[in-house]
Amino acid sequence: MIEAAGIPTVCVVGIREIAERVRPPRAVHLKWPFGHPLGEPGNRAQQLSVIHYALTALATVREPGAILDPGWRWRRETYREPDSWTLPV
Amino acid sequence: MPIPDRLRQWMGRAYGQLYTRIPALARRWGRHFDALTSDDVPFSRLRAPLHRCRLAFITTGGVHLRTQPPYRMDDSHGDPSFRAIPATTPAEQLMITHDYYDHRDAERDMNILFPLALGRELVAQGALGGLGTSYSFMGHIEPPHVATLLRRTAPEVARRLRQEQIDAVLLTPA
Repeated sequence: MIEAAGIPTVCVVGIREIAERVRPPRAVHLKWPFGHPLGEPGNRAQQLSVIHYALTALATVREPGAILDPGWRWRRETYREPDSWTLPV
Repeated sequence: MPIPDRLRQWMGRAYGQLYTRIPALARRWGRHFDALTSDDVPFSRLRAPLHRCRLAFITTGGVHLRTQPPYRMDDSHGDPSFRAIPATTPAEQLMITHDYYDHRDAERDMNILFPLALGRELVAQGALGGLGTSYSFMGHIEPPHVATLLRRTAPEVARRLRQEQIDAVLLTPA
């Protein structure tokens, strides 16, 4: 509805099968526990990495219904805060 | 025999907690979940670079201001209403009412679900053009409330986002 109103959206999803059926315009799939779409409490680098990835998808996804999968594991992953926030359009 | 309402509520809560703790179970649930399906995917392009965009967040995690009425937990079919949350809201003024997942971590650090504070930092450092009013729903919504969501509350949020000239939205389901 938001997208139909002309506003691009990106959705962080935890269960790929639901995204495949609901088909949000752009989805970022992270196989992480419920209630933790952007990561763990206090893990700023992880949270910013997801936000950066999602906002990049807003600009780069050209195919409606695309589900991107960064493949980041829950916990056993080393995150760095994104260096640059200058994102492509 | 229909399941009594209180038992349905209890079962929903128990499953929600279990799914938070055991993600494999949640995925199994997701494969069979009766989600609203869509063949037609609306698509709008980002019209400006992000440093000139006004962003809003939308979560279904049951977030609201401490001063706003909580979502209804006494109805086992859920609550299709939303809460508008100003971009300047400090994390201490936010709370979560949602009995169907474990939100203790989100209450310790709202940035894992509804990242207003991180969004404000990104605006301050020039990565984003601005932050608009953000919104929360409570994601446990079953018939007959799905119709209210689709016909009334979700379109109302879309209308408000347009009115506030929001350029992009980051959605974080719980």
